[in-house]
Amino acid sequence: MNPALSLSEVHSTHAAGNRIKYSRLHYQRRKYTNWIMLSLTGLLTLLALIPLFWIVGYVIYKGGQYINLSFFTKMPLPLGMSGGGVLHAIEGTLILTLLSALFAIPPGVLAAFYAAYKPNTPLGIVVRFGTDVLAGVPSIVIGLFIYALIVKVQHHYSALAGGVALAILMLPTIIRTTEEMLKLVPQTLREASLALGSPEWKTAISVILPAASNGVVTGVLLGIARASGETAPLLFTALGNENYEIGRIVNSGVSAHQNVFTVLGKIFNQPVDSLPLTLWKYAQQPYPERINQAWAAALVLMLLVLVVNILARIWMQIRTSRMQGR
Amino acid sequence: MMNRPQVSSSTLTVGPSLNGFEKKVEIAGFSLYYGKFKALGNVSMTIPANKITAIIGPSGCGKSTLLRAINQMNRLVLNVHTEGQVILDGEDIYAPGADVVDIRRRVGMVFQRPNPFPKSIYENVAYGPRLYGVNRRFELDQIVERSLRQAALWDEVKDKLSHSGMALSGGQQQRLCIARALAVEPEVILMDEPASALDPVATLKIEELMQSLKELYTIIIVTHNMQQAARVSDYTAFMMIDNPQTRTGVLVEYGPTTQIFTQPKNRQTEDYVTGRFG
Repeated sequence: MNPALSLSEVHSTHAAGNRIKYSRLHYQRRKYTNWIMLSLTGLLTLLALIPLFWIVGYVIYKGGQYINLSFFTKMPLPLGMSGGGVLHAIEGTLILTLLSALFAIPPGVLAAFYAAYKPNTPLGIVVRFGTDVLAGVPSIVIGLFIYALIVKVQHHYSALAGGVALAILMLPTIIRTTEEMLKLVPQTLREASLALGSPEWKTAISVILPAASNGVVTGVLLGIARASGETAPLLFTALGNENYEIGRIVNSGVSAHQNVFTVLGKIFNQPVDSLPLTLWKYAQQPYPERINQAWAAALVLMLLVLVVNILARIWMQIRTSRMQGR
Repeated sequence: MMNRPQVSSSTLTVGPSLNGFEKKVEIAGFSLYYGKFKALGNVSMTIPANKITAIIGPSGCGKSTLLRAINQMNRLVLNVHTEGQVILDGEDIYAPGADVVDIRRRVGMVFQRPNPFPKSIYENVAYGPRLYGVNRRFELDQIVERSLRQAALWDEVKDKLSHSGMALSGGQQQRLCIARALAVEPEVILMDEPASALDPVATLKIEELMQSLKELYTIIIVTHNMQQAARVSDYTAFMMIDNPQTRTGVLVEYGPTTQIFTQPKNRQTEDYVTGRFG
């Protein structure tokens, strides 16, 4: 707009219709630009979604053909025979996940508390920086490290070593998500508890953690989802074990009158397989049955992560609505 | 700063000797620093028991800082250090060895925004007593009912004690927070703009509640709302920053509310309460 124009002149220009002509042209151009940009974003969004649906669809198509009940309940059969299942890998995955969650959640959540509430202390800075660095360490390096630290010392591969390796992988995810969630809890909630004379630790456990629990659970589940899909660190640590069957270990332990600790030791302290590890091994073997089972294992792994995610979401939904009293 | 002598003389008029009131909290030459920044400068005032004392003043003048100093909430901020004394029933709460937990039990607090815990109504009120070792159900039931009745909330929530405290309306949440503070049987209740996030009806309820509570408790309230201070309080303290460079909060005038609002001794107080600035 010409600054030299006085207000009355502007009005008279409007009245003459000059501005309306100009603005219609301008409006058309804006409309087309908008349409082009909108189409472009839509198109690229679709493009980004293609790999997702392709992968999911292809795995369901390939794996779905070979999946049946015995795939979940039977142990593998000798090479070349069709049939049999991957019970050993499913049980191994559960054991590894359990161990890694057990090792990673307590220190992860506590470190997150420290980082969230003492961010500017030297230790707080170290926690945050260290977490970022740890998140960038390649998983195979972590496997190698645990190999040197535990496997070499124990002189054998074990679920325990695999669990520790996966726990280290989970730590950054847990710490970072939990920290962010703790920061979202209103400061006034913390003050309300402290103003009643509650000590910090009690406030943390009985007010802040419940208020942030949805986020903390999400963080833990993200960590578990990441760890349960990892293969590389397990190559040096859990190794794999096609004879791993918890039911049989327990039964033989009971019939041999072994005590609980011996049986637990056998469960946790021997090599185990996991679904991704099995997938990796089966997919390289020149037997069509094994290749097909690798596809089926891929499907099971995918479904497992999906089910964990869905269950977590449902649980969170219930909790959130109960907390807000809806 | 030029008004300091006047201020201290007006402070003396509220002494227990003059009005015959029992003194509850005595703030003596109290200064507070956040790092190098002096947020409160040499505040002295005597707060009488079973009265409502309002602290008013423009934003950033240290009202909340002073209020939070009375139950040591300022300990949550790093690099805070204090000079002078805050004396609660003859004991300096800033003396080395003073028990923060005990002080916070005796001096409860209600915050600006209602902040119920994400727990049931019952658990919100029972949280404090549980901290102090009350665990038997019938005792807790009694405390919860008594506190909710005192906070004038019982009739509205007695049938839904297990519902979440977050499901209540804003005004109800604030009364729940008051009930939560009352449950540990404090002697002093600090209120940091307790009605600023509420609608006029809920505000009125809170103000009525304060009148009934002062029988049992000493109430200190920070408010932006001068009408509110005039309506509810017995004594009023007016605070301001000493000058725009240092931004240290000082007590300008303190006295009976009617006097502060009708015949202030200080020119700045008069300008503020008549709405000429702030």
